[in-house]
Amino acid sequence: MKSFRPLYFLIEALKSLKRNGVMTLASVAVLMSCLIVIGGFSLLVYNIDVNLEQFGEMNKIAVFCEFDASEDEITSLQKTIEELDNVKDVVRHTKEERLEEFKKDHVDAYGDITSEENPLSDSLEITYKSTDTKKIENLSYELEKLKSEGQIRKISNRYTLSKKIDNFKHTVMMIFIWFLAILLVVSVFIIVNTIKLALISRKNEIGIMRYIGATKWFITLPFIIEGMLIGLAAGVLAFLITKLVYNTVVVRAFNVATFISIADFARIEPTFIVGFILIGVVTGVVGSFISLVKYLNT
Amino acid sequence: MIDFKNVVMEYPNGNVALKGINLHIDDGEFVFIVGQSGAGKTTLTKLLLCEEKASNGHIIVGNYDLSRIPNYKIPHYRRKLGMVFQDFRLLPNKTVYENVAFAMQIVGTPARKIRRRVPAILNTVNLSDKHNSFPDEISGGEQQRVALARALANNPDVIVADEPTGNIDPEMSLEIMNLLLKINKLGKTVIVVTHEKELVDYYQQRVVMIKEGVIVEDRVGGMFE
Repeated sequence: MKSFRPLYFLIEALKSLKRNGVMTLASVAVLMSCLIVIGGFSLLVYNIDVNLEQFGEMNKIAVFCEFDASEDEITSLQKTIEELDNVKDVVRHTKEERLEEFKKDHVDAYGDITSEENPLSDSLEITYKSTDTKKIENLSYELEKLKSEGQIRKISNRYTLSKKIDNFKHTVMMIFIWFLAILLVVSVFIIVNTIKLALISRKNEIGIMRYIGATKWFITLPFIIEGMLIGLAAGVLAFLITKLVYNTVVVRAFNVATFISIADFARIEPTFIVGFILIGVVTGVVGSFISLVKYLNT
Repeated sequence: MIDFKNVVMEYPNGNVALKGINLHIDDGEFVFIVGQSGAGKTTLTKLLLCEEKASNGHIIVGNYDLSRIPNYKIPHYRRKLGMVFQDFRLLPNKTVYENVAFAMQIVGTPARKIRRRVPAILNTVNLSDKHNSFPDEISGGEQQRVALARALANNPDVIVADEPTGNIDPEMSLEIMNLLLKINKLGKTVIVVTHEKELVDYYQQRVVMIKEGVIVEDRVGGMFE
């Protein structure tokens, strides 16, 4: 005798979802909201990463020489820096090179600026060996000393900025994890109640099934599938809404801010759909199990 | 074969419902279990159904020792029993046919076999013409016949009927009893738990009388005294 018939379990689960329509909708809505919030945070973190990458060359510090520094002074400064601990190499960018770069980026406003009007100074781009915080801080300290001696006009340490953004990302992650935990607990609670209602509405039927000799798994599988279906529906809907809102609102809103890069949703679409469905289905199954655990133990 | 050996049943509240029951029922027997309310008949039925476990003693049904049966084996054991209740316990949203077929579906019987067997069982209980009716469209006696058909669906070895005539009129009661006898003639062991004196006396079968948790009489062709 065959005892596993997927179609039977699926039909029973669908019937039960229909019978408790309001609670089903509530469960899908809450879990979907939870997934949308998860998606929102994930997109925020992902975009922070993308922008951090754009800073690129995070292991670099730029120092700007004094405007009136002579060729000898700049060469000597470069040599001094090269001898500092944790320095891999030092590349000099003359003020002429820097002006050309600047003109390329701001062709409309400064395209006709001449070398006589050049407001820039020479710079030295330092690449450091180790990203160890202490070593970078020591290098920064040494550079600050050179600055106080009047050899350097300005230090631009991208590491500090990157570190700040990275710290912000970690804060967002922490908030995200707490939000995730709270929302998942709420979702599981709602699903537990939906499945409990389904169990109550089928109490007589279940009683008869037990007397006739149905196994516990045969009785409980439709309820587990019910939880899975709630999770699946919530996952698919959350994905569609997140995609729609991201592409129509977020991308358009940030397109005006040229200094911020917004990631293309298509690049992360497969991860999102799989992630949403997986979280949805697992939450649904966990909710079902919690409501059934008392029953399974009797 | 059903064997109760020194079965004691004490509920957690201290109520001792059965006080050392010894009872042997052979395959193919027809037995009335009788007694007043509170005598211990329902507890005996619950023990047979594995709804409760005896506090002491052994209950053997076929190859199963109910005092040692693990939980996962209970559904398989119950498939050897056909249960008929006083309140029919039919599913109101299913037709007569579906109620009987349901019993077979949940133990995983293939659809083809269900289509073949259900009409035959409905014919046995004289309900062929009602297969499309819902429980609330048929009489109490007919509902009990559906319950009987459902109990027979998985071809059990034993039929346990708990007050099967309690909710139906006397004429229908006789019909149900005649059906149970007919089923017994087919080789099934039939246990009827009842407190209806007239029926027991009319059929002259083996009668086991319980009083205050003790078997006070066990006689073939007995009367309800």
